[in-house]
Amino acid sequence: MNTSQDIFDRAAHWHLASQRDDMDWDAFTAWLEADPAHARAYDEVSLADAALGEIEPPAPLHLAANDDPAQPVARGGWYRWAGTAIAACLLVVLSFAVLRPDAASVYHTEGQSMTVTLDDGSQVVLAPASELTVDGDQLALSGGAWFDVRHDPDRQLVIAAGLVQITDIGTRFDVQAAGQDVRVAVSEGRVSVRSEHLQAPVQLTAGRQLHFDGASGRSLAAPVEAASVGGWRSGQLTYADVPLRLVSADLSRYAGVEIEVPQAMAGRMFSGTLTIDDGNAAARDLSQLMGLGLERAGACYRLVDPAD
Amino acid sequence: MDSSGGFLVQVYEQERSGLLRFLCARCGDDAEAEDVLQELWLKLDGLATGPIGNGKAYLFRMASNLVLDRRRGRMRAMQRDRGWIAEEAGGEPEAPEDRADPAQPADEAIARQQEAEVLHRAIAALPPGARRALQLYRFEERGQAEIAEIMGISRSGVEKHLALAMKMLRNALSDCGAYGSAASLQREVKQ
Repeated sequence: MNTSQDIFDRAAHWHLASQRDDMDWDAFTAWLEADPAHARAYDEVSLADAALGEIEPPAPLHLAANDDPAQPVARGGWYRWAGTAIAACLLVVLSFAVLRPDAASVYHTEGQSMTVTLDDGSQVVLAPASELTVDGDQLALSGGAWFDVRHDPDRQLVIAAGLVQITDIGTRFDVQAAGQDVRVAVSEGRVSVRSEHLQAPVQLTAGRQLHFDGASGRSLAAPVEAASVGGWRSGQLTYADVPLRLVSADLSRYAGVEIEVPQAMAGRMFSGTLTIDDGNAAARDLSQLMGLGLERAGACYRLVDPAD
Repeated sequence: MDSSGGFLVQVYEQERSGLLRFLCARCGDDAEAEDVLQELWLKLDGLATGPIGNGKAYLFRMASNLVLDRRRGRMRAMQRDRGWIAEEAGGEPEAPEDRADPAQPADEAIARQQEAEVLHRAIAALPPGARRALQLYRFEERGQAEIAEIMGISRSGVEKHLALAMKMLRNALSDCGAYGSAASLQREVKQ
């Protein structure tokens, strides 16, 4: 590790020197020629520097330059505890829903979906085993819902789901919020997804989807077939590279079938369409499409790797 | 062609073989090096600049920046293809309106957001001297000599601070996979 860090150190010095007129370009060429790893290191260092040109200036240091070594430790510590901040945000969302029950209408579904019509005529189809809180223009969702929102320049609907807020601009879209995972897929129009964990809101247009994974804080944007968005309303779930654990959570909600996914395969990606009228068939289809075995485990199924 | 452009063309003629050799080493790919050299030549035509002290340094820097532009394009393309980009929450909350660029594709926007978050965290974790030097160098656009004066340290001290900062930022981006297949792509070309 030491030697590779030395290379990056060297690369950084070359990079800094290159911005001065006294740079020895022939010596730099010789250094690059000595080992292909040098050019890669140089690329990475200069890319990092170039990336600085695209970010906002950091907050200025609040203390004089060379003293107090406690500063970086304290700040680094704060960042390292960002996980706590996530939990705190989640609490804020939850307590919001709990603290203002009088002002809001709460819609809760068990086995059947439900259509909720908002004041302005916009419609929300709430998936089974889901809950929607409506407080004026502020909505909170846990579970799944299909939104068909009327365009109204004077009002803006905000949907809180997990750690993200979704803002619409007159559109049709689907939201699946299961635990820390939030997926937003747009069928028509455009929505904006924001979160404290995204530095800028993500604009999703028709045929695009976003998966926000609150556990890791990562987000994935990908294309989606617009026609398949909200397919659960007509009995189908369509996936393109979706982690098995989410497919399993969906099947529990939409097909009423519990499928245990061992931790080791929870992150494997599934692509395909499942029919949800028959939970047993859906479980079988899933296991076959993934090339996995399916075992009965009491009232549920368990996916098993035939290689084990 | 104006006079400085003419001057640079002269320097280019003198330094052509050295530039090519540099670009071959820098790109790790002779064909790409030829492309970049051609691009450089085309740029010289019609280039209007102020007075140039060191023509050779100017041309080599230009060549090096052309390669950097290509690497940036490649990194962005890799990030767009890959999809999974943003990670690790906890960046400083900022007014999102200030940063949104609706014209940008969603995945690229996320890639940039994540990059910015990673960089901000890495900058915050820098030792104070490196952080101060970087702040002056990149966000207040001071030269290395000027920073030495402001901080009351030697030029080589400034370079040390800045090199440490660059290395740590590189490490932070590398840890979050920002270079992922960009690096492996080069490895393929090379081996």
